[in-house]
Amino acid sequence: MKLPPPQRPLKFLRWFCREDYLEEVEGDLIEVFEKQAAVSLRQARRIFTWSVLRYFRPRFIKNFRPLYSTNVMSILRHNLLITLRSFSRHKSSFLINLTGLSTGLACVLLIYLWVNDELHVNQFHENKTRLYKVLENRVQADRIWTAESSSGPTADALAADMPEVEYAITTTHIDAHTMSVDERPFKAAGLYAGKDYFKIFTFHLLHGRKSDLLKEKNNIVLSESLARKLFNRADETVLGKIVEIDHARQYTISGIYEDQPHQATEKPDFVRSFEEFRADHPDWVSTWFSTGANTYVMLKEGVDVNAFNAKIATYVQKKTNGEVKHRTMFLKLYTEKYLYGRYENGVEAGGRITYVRLFSAIAIFILVIACINFMNLSTARAARRLKEIGIKKAIGARRNTLVWQHLGESMLLSLVSMLIAIGLVVLLLPYFNVTTEKQLTLPFNLVFVGRMLGVIVFTGLLAGSYPALYLSGFNPAAILKGKLTSATGELWVRQGLVVFQFTCSVVFIVAVIVVYRQTQYIQSRSLGYSKNNMIVFEREGKIVESENLESFLAALREVPGIMNASATSATLTGHVSGTSGVAWEGKDPNDRTEFENVTVAYDMLETLGFELSEGRSFSRDFPSDTARIIFNEAAIAFMGLKDPIGKVIKLWGEDMEIVGVAKNFHFESLHENVRPLFFRLSPENTSRIMARIEPGQEQATVQRLQQFYETYNPGFTFDFRFLDADYQGQYRAEQRVAVLSRYFAGLAILISCLGLFGLTAFTLERREKEIGIRKVLGSGELRIVLLLSRDITKMVLLAIVLALPLSYYLTNSWLSSFAFRVDLNAAYFILSGVVALAITWITVGLQALRAARLNPVQALKRE
Amino acid sequence: MSNQSLGEFEELVLLMVAALHDEAYGVSILENLEGKLSKKLNISAVHVALKRIEDKGFVKSRFGGITNDRGGRRKKFYVITALGKRMLDDQYALRTAIYQQIPKISFS
Repeated sequence: MKLPPPQRPLKFLRWFCREDYLEEVEGDLIEVFEKQAAVSLRQARRIFTWSVLRYFRPRFIKNFRPLYSTNVMSILRHNLLITLRSFSRHKSSFLINLTGLSTGLACVLLIYLWVNDELHVNQFHENKTRLYKVLENRVQADRIWTAESSSGPTADALAADMPEVEYAITTTHIDAHTMSVDERPFKAAGLYAGKDYFKIFTFHLLHGRKSDLLKEKNNIVLSESLARKLFNRADETVLGKIVEIDHARQYTISGIYEDQPHQATEKPDFVRSFEEFRADHPDWVSTWFSTGANTYVMLKEGVDVNAFNAKIATYVQKKTNGEVKHRTMFLKLYTEKYLYGRYENGVEAGGRITYVRLFSAIAIFILVIACINFMNLSTARAARRLKEIGIKKAIGARRNTLVWQHLGESMLLSLVSMLIAIGLVVLLLPYFNVTTEKQLTLPFNLVFVGRMLGVIVFTGLLAGSYPALYLSGFNPAAILKGKLTSATGELWVRQGLVVFQFTCSVVFIVAVIVVYRQTQYIQSRSLGYSKNNMIVFEREGKIVESENLESFLAALREVPGIMNASATSATLTGHVSGTSGVAWEGKDPNDRTEFENVTVAYDMLETLGFELSEGRSFSRDFPSDTARIIFNEAAIAFMGLKDPIGKVIKLWGEDMEIVGVAKNFHFESLHENVRPLFFRLSPENTSRIMARIEPGQEQATVQRLQQFYETYNPGFTFDFRFLDADYQGQYRAEQRVAVLSRYFAGLAILISCLGLFGLTAFTLERREKEIGIRKVLGSGELRIVLLLSRDITKMVLLAIVLALPLSYYLTNSWLSSFAFRVDLNAAYFILSGVVALAITWITVGLQALRAARLNPVQALKRE
Repeated sequence: MSNQSLGEFEELVLLMVAALHDEAYGVSILENLEGKLSKKLNISAVHVALKRIEDKGFVKSRFGGITNDRGGRRKKFYVITALGKRMLDDQYALRTAIYQQIPKISFS
C-alpha cells in the first residue's frame, strides 16, 4: 500500500511552483517519498517537507503576475460613468446624501481643528519634556486642595539643594500696567521672572543677547507687538531705550521677542527681572509661610520625575523646621497642566481633556449618522440597480469587482462632500473662532491633507461597505428571473440603523436642554449680592497712594450716575487670596484651612449690596474698625461660634473683634461650595475700585467716568470692565459647550431627518399601488397616513426608550461637576422625546399625506 | 569552454546523465549519485543542477509515459547533447593533461 505524501507541503508546492516544472518535481518528490516511507514514514515526511521548502527559490517560483492585464483605466472610467448616471437619475437621494455627509464632515473638520489646537497648546516649548511647574497639595479641614502656587524661596532652594534641577525660576502673575515712552501711555500685561526664564521657556528672540536679557535689575524685555506700539518699530535701535512703567520707574530694554504663538497659555507683553521684585518685597520672597509665587523647574536630562517628587514631598516641612506640615510639593509637567489641570482631593481629575474627548465623540457620532443615511438609502434603492448587478455578474464580473465599484461610488461621494465641507468650514471658521476663542485656520500642509484623505477613505468605507457587500452578494440568476424578495434581515439592519440615529439625536436633545437650563441657572442664581451695573478698575497712578484713596472715592461718588463706590482686594469672581492665619478659641492647632481674605474700604459691603444676618458693616462712625472683622456664615459655622458678635478672634496673631456676619454669597464659581471668608477694613491694602452705576444710563456715566478719571489721573488710560463680564468669564467653558452642543445637536437631528425623509420617500414610492388600491376600496386619508407612519413611529419610540437612560447618565455626570446645579427633571426627557417624535411625524406625515391625497387612478393606471 | 562554465556538482550530474543514457531522470540520477558518492543528497539539488545544465544546452529533456507510480506524474528523461559531450571531453582532457604534469614524487 502506498502512503500519500503530506498534503500541506504539497499544496504549497503546487501554489508556488512554475507550471512547466511542477509535474517533474512533484513526481520525483513523490517517488523519493514513497521509497523512504518504506523505511521510516516520519523521516520521509520530514524530508519531503524540507525538500519542498528547498524548491522555494527564484528558479522554481512561478510568475504571479497575470498573463493578460485588465485595462484598469477603462474600468475606472466605466464605473465613474455609472456612478455619475446614478447620481443624476436619483437626484433627491444624491442630494440628501451630499447634504448629510458634507455637513457631517464640516462638523468633523471643525472639531478636528479645535481638538488639534487644544492638543498643541504649549507644545511648542522645546524643553517641554523636562519643563515642570511646582504645585502643592494642601490639606484642608474638608478636602485636599491642589494649588498652583508655591512659596517665594522655592526656586532658589530647589536649585541649590537638588542636583537633578537644571534651572529653577520664580515668576509673578501676569498683571496690567501703564507703559509709556514720551508720555504716551499704553496698557500692557507682563510679569517678573527669574533670569533663566528665557532658557526654560521657548521664546523666539529677535534682538538682544539671550544671556544678558534680565542681567540688570532694571532690564525689561518686550514683545514685538508692544515694541511696535511704543516705538512704531521693533528693530535693534529699540535696544537700550528707556521705557517707563506706571509713570514711576524706568527700565532699559535689553531684548525683543516675537509674540508667543496663540497656542501659548502665557503671553506676556513684557518681562521684568525678578530681582527687582525681590528688592521691593524682601520679606514675602524669603518666607516659606506664605504662597503665591509661580515656580517652574527644568530637570536635567533623564531624571525620573516620580522619584524626584518623592524626594521633595516633605520639602516645605523640612525648610520650615516641621512647622508647615500640610503642604506637599510636587512637579507637574507644564504641557499637561492645560488639559489635565483639574484636581479633586489631590488626585488628577481630568480638566479640559474631558471636553476634548466629548467633542471628539460628538464628531464621530455625527459622521456615523451621516454615513447611516448613505447606507440606508443605498440598500433601500438596491432594487433599482439589481438588473445592472445581475447582468454584470452574469457576464463574469467577480464579486470583488462589484464591491470595489460600489465602494468607489461612496468614496467619490465622500470626496465631493469633503470638498464642500472644506468650503463650509472656510465660511464658518470666523464665527467658530469667536465662539471657541481660538485662532484656527485650515492648514493646507501635507499632514492635514493626509489626514483628510484618511477621513475620506474612512467615510467612504463606513458608508459604502454595507451596501457594497449587500448588493454584490445577490445570486445573479435569481435577480434576472425577478425572484428576489428582500430578506427580513435587511429590513432589520435598516431599522436598527434608524433607531441608532434617533437614539443619538434624542441624547443630543436632552443634553442641549440640560446644558441650557444649567447655564441659565448660573446666570440667574442669586449670588447674595448684585453683580449688575458694577464697574471695576485697578488702582493706579495717584490712586495707589493710600492718602489719596478716600478723596478719590469721595470725588468718584460725586460723578453723576454713580450710586456708590469703594475699594476692595477681590472681585469675588474666583479665589484671590487666602490665609490660614485665623485663630479662635477651640481651634484644632493642626488645622490649616484657608479663609478667603477680602480687604475692603468703607462702603464696600453697601456698594455690592451684601446682606448681613447679624451685626453691622464697617462704618466711619466707629474709629477703630480696622481692628474689627466681618465673617460670612460659612466661616462662623466652620469655627462653631455661637453669638459671634463681639467675640474676639486672632488674625495673624492680632486681636480682631467680630462686628458682623454676612449672609453666604458666591465668591467662587458655582462648581464650588461656599467656603469661609472674612472682610477686614484696610483701605491701603485694596487693589481695585468698584463702582455701581445707575441702571439705564450706563453709557453716559461711563463717558463721564472716563473724563473724570483722566483729569484726576493724567497719563493713565481708563481701563475698566463690568463685574458681570468677569462673572461670565468663570463659566466660559460651560457657555462654549452650551453654544456648540446646540449647533451640533441641531445638525445631528437635521441629518437624521434627512435620512428619514429619503427613506420615507422611497417607501411611499414602492407602496404607491397599495395606497391606490386601499383608496379605491374606500380607505380614508387619515387611516393611510397612520398606516404609513406606524412603522417609523415604532422605531422612534424604541430609540427614545434606549436614549433616556443613556442621556440621564451622561447629563448627570456633567452636572455633578457643579456644587450648585439644576435637578434633572423628568420634563426634560419627556420634552426631548416629544420633540423627536414631533420632528419625525412632520417629516413622515407631510409626505404620507401627499401620497394619501394622490388620485388612486394615477397610481394604478401605470403598468 | 570560453563562455560556458560547469560547476562541480553540475559536472557530476552531467556525467551521470551521460552514463545512464536513456534512463536518466531525477530520482535515478539521485540514487546513482548517492551510491557513487556514498552520501545523502537532496532531490532539489539534482533538479537545480539539471535545470542549469539544460539552460546551458548540455542536456535535452522529454516526458516519459503516464504510469500509476509517482502519483500519476510523468517522468522527465534527460539525454546529453553533442555540446554537453564535448564539454565533458574538454574537461576530461584538461584534467588529464594537468594530471600528467604532476612530477613523480613518492609519498611513501
